[in-house]
Amino acid sequence: MPVFKVPFNGYSVKFSPFYESQLAVATAQNFGILGNGRLHVLQLSPSPANPGQPISEISSFDTADGVYDCCWSESHDSLIVAAVADGSVKLYDLSLPPTANPIRSLQEHTREVHSVDYNVVRKDSFLSSSWDDTVKLWTVDRPSSVRTFKEHAYCVYSTAWNPRHADVFASASGDCTARIWDVREPASTMILPAHEFEILSCDWNKYDDCVIATASVDKSIKVWDVRSFRVPVAVLNGHGYAVRKVKFSPHRGSVIASCSYDMTVCLWDYMVEDALIGRYDHHTEFTVGVDMSVLVEGLLASTGWDELVYVWQHGMDPRAP
Amino acid sequence: MGSQSDSTPNSVDDKAQNPASQPSESTVNQGTVAKADVPNERATPSPFVNSEPIREEQVQNAVKFLSHPKVRGSPVMYRRSFLERKGLTKEEIDDAFRRVPDPTPSATASQPVVANQDGQLNSSSAIQQQVPTQTLQRAQAPSTGSISRLGLYQFHWSHVLYAIGFLAVSGAGTAVLLKKTIIPRLKSWIRKVVLKEEEGEPLVEKGNAKPNLAEEAAAAAKAAAAAAADVARASQEMLMSKTEEKRYFSELTNLLDVQIREMKTMSNAVQKLQDKGESSIPGRIATREEDDHRVSVVNSRQPYSNGKVDNRIDSVISSSPPSSVEPSAAPHPKSYMEIMAMVQRGERPSNIREINDQPPNPNQPVPNPRLVPKPKPWEVGQSQSSSGSGFQYQESSNGFTSGSQTIQLNADGSVPWWQQKNARITEIESEDEQNIRSSVPSEKPVQRSWVPPQPPPVAMAEAAAAIRQPKKPLLQKEQLTDDHLLGRASEVTDELQRITKISEAGGLEANGGNLANNASEIQKEEEQAYTET
Repeated sequence: MPVFKVPFNGYSVKFSPFYESQLAVATAQNFGILGNGRLHVLQLSPSPANPGQPISEISSFDTADGVYDCCWSESHDSLIVAAVADGSVKLYDLSLPPTANPIRSLQEHTREVHSVDYNVVRKDSFLSSSWDDTVKLWTVDRPSSVRTFKEHAYCVYSTAWNPRHADVFASASGDCTARIWDVREPASTMILPAHEFEILSCDWNKYDDCVIATASVDKSIKVWDVRSFRVPVAVLNGHGYAVRKVKFSPHRGSVIASCSYDMTVCLWDYMVEDALIGRYDHHTEFTVGVDMSVLVEGLLASTGWDELVYVWQHGMDPRAP
Repeated sequence: MGSQSDSTPNSVDDKAQNPASQPSESTVNQGTVAKADVPNERATPSPFVNSEPIREEQVQNAVKFLSHPKVRGSPVMYRRSFLERKGLTKEEIDDAFRRVPDPTPSATASQPVVANQDGQLNSSSAIQQQVPTQTLQRAQAPSTGSISRLGLYQFHWSHVLYAIGFLAVSGAGTAVLLKKTIIPRLKSWIRKVVLKEEEGEPLVEKGNAKPNLAEEAAAAAKAAAAAAADVARASQEMLMSKTEEKRYFSELTNLLDVQIREMKTMSNAVQKLQDKGESSIPGRIATREEDDHRVSVVNSRQPYSNGKVDNRIDSVISSSPPSSVEPSAAPHPKSYMEIMAMVQRGERPSNIREINDQPPNPNQPVPNPRLVPKPKPWEVGQSQSSSGSGFQYQESSNGFTSGSQTIQLNADGSVPWWQQKNARITEIESEDEQNIRSSVPSEKPVQRSWVPPQPPPVAMAEAAAAIRQPKKPLLQKEQLTDDHLLGRASEVTDELQRITKISEAGGLEANGGNLANNASEIQKEEEQAYTET
């Protein structure tokens, strides 16, 4: 399985929803403490007869500060949204030359922007969550945010749109709560006191729109049903350190991929008694980004602070040549 | 959807108002109110809204918590956050806040920006004391910076006023004193001169009286002039000293300003770095918590976890697991620690470049999309794919084949490496693929997701016979008692259940079309069997 070396520490990797072979990687220099950033767009070359370059770079964009997250637009095949550590959200257009990019730089957050997520249902808007405790809603055509959601008491590490309801999204914060919001409502509609420690990531079940998973510093992943949110549906233990990112599979309703500071990527099936169904320890530093392809079933990608990006099929060894 | 959003705030408001009047019957009221307030197309309200009734016990615990004197002194946001973490809903928290009378917020997040002239000195000293502590708090740094600057300016002006007053008073005092000392000196000097002259008179002729007088007058005039010169010099010195003092004071205040500004920038920089350091490695928050940083978790938890606190407050807090379950910090790479140390010392890593990442044309038009968005795998087979954006979506069957694995073949006909799968997984997966691909041409495309179990195929002839059998005994043995008939009916259902379970365990192996046909067939049999009884 091929690996790609990036010059900076990897922070996030996302597959394109339009092209099976494209993925975007967000990286930051000096572990994201202080330094530049770069957004890479990589291509998986289809021909196995070209073993020298199974992953190649289509283009890359430099930023003054680290890029903590990126997401692809669901409506435009060449647009990428980047979350930058200087508080700006930048839009990049791959169909334009690098000198014409970025096409937008939206500076409204007062702290680092930690994550961005694009609306999968209506495909017209995206969210950004920041260490300034707020979540902002944007559309591509407007130069300023549509709404700001300010309720969390600490950094908001992650937001995720509901895969079936165009107006519902969830946010995970360092104040140990996850909140469910409806953009039509003035305030959050539900508060899940999901963990006793900071919640670093959340994601919705693509096949059950009321099930949400949260990943926390307490090394566990909890799966919740919002209809009865006092008790989790499942608690997934197995990571050795804080779980940094959690992602529900787009193809199998009960499969979750997660990555952690224990340098592994794990696959879980929370409906099964023995939930851990796969474990990959190919990284040599914190694994910070993981994604499962929507277009190719079983295709996983991960990146970490060891400056490597791996793309592999579930069941195969990521480090195999 | 519009009516949906209208109804939920109503139900939330009603729930909030009801328990205030009827705490005991809250559950019953809420149930009826919630149901009555949802007259829209959906049978149940949105699942993303908390429709739990307010729990009185939780509200009372929260009231006790909020009434605690130590809690009173903490910012409102921390109190809210604590209660949220304990699992209280928004309505419960609002209720608790309403029940506890809130005195003047002394150190809340929203500090009074305008300080009155009356309480100037007090407020300014208070603000000055709070400035060093609050600059450590991330969220309030910008506001307190401006507030403290404002306070210092006022302080500065009042200080100047006081200085000027003091100087004026001191100047007047010294002037008075000097006059008091100069005049006696003058007088005594004049007396001396006069005495000298008087002493000299008897010795000298009387004729010298007049010139002596003139001399005396001249001498007195000289003395007066000298005294006046002295006074002038003294007053000049005083003025100079006054201006000097004023200058010194202004210099002092300027220096203080500069110092404070520098301190603020330093603290901001330290904050930023600490934030980045802390939040980018949240695993380390556990150890940092002991250092009593911004994390309010520990700030609010520590005062209550010791035995001094009321038992009932403990019950609210003891529901959380003991603090010994703190997660261990992940070991960070060595170069990470080096960079953190370098940044905290104030050094800038040498590999950072100056990059201009601003958009060259902020009004660059967004390009037209070249591809139509593909339906997601979980949207396939559903008719509720949204059309709000005006894109044309492919039909479900076409979308299915294109949304799922379109195996691109290379020039030599081989499969791209990222679609090749491991042998053991392909065994399981290829079966699914074949099933699904074969069922695509049928009328009902089968979803690749979890499919509800279909009634079993007629693979077991005995089962089919068993199902069909009860008809004959029912027809023949009409004299059977009711118990027997019921027994037969239950046998049929048991048979069916057993067969269903077996087929479920075996997995979906048959064609979708066949299943549908078999399902209808068996359902017919069932109906007939039941109607016979």
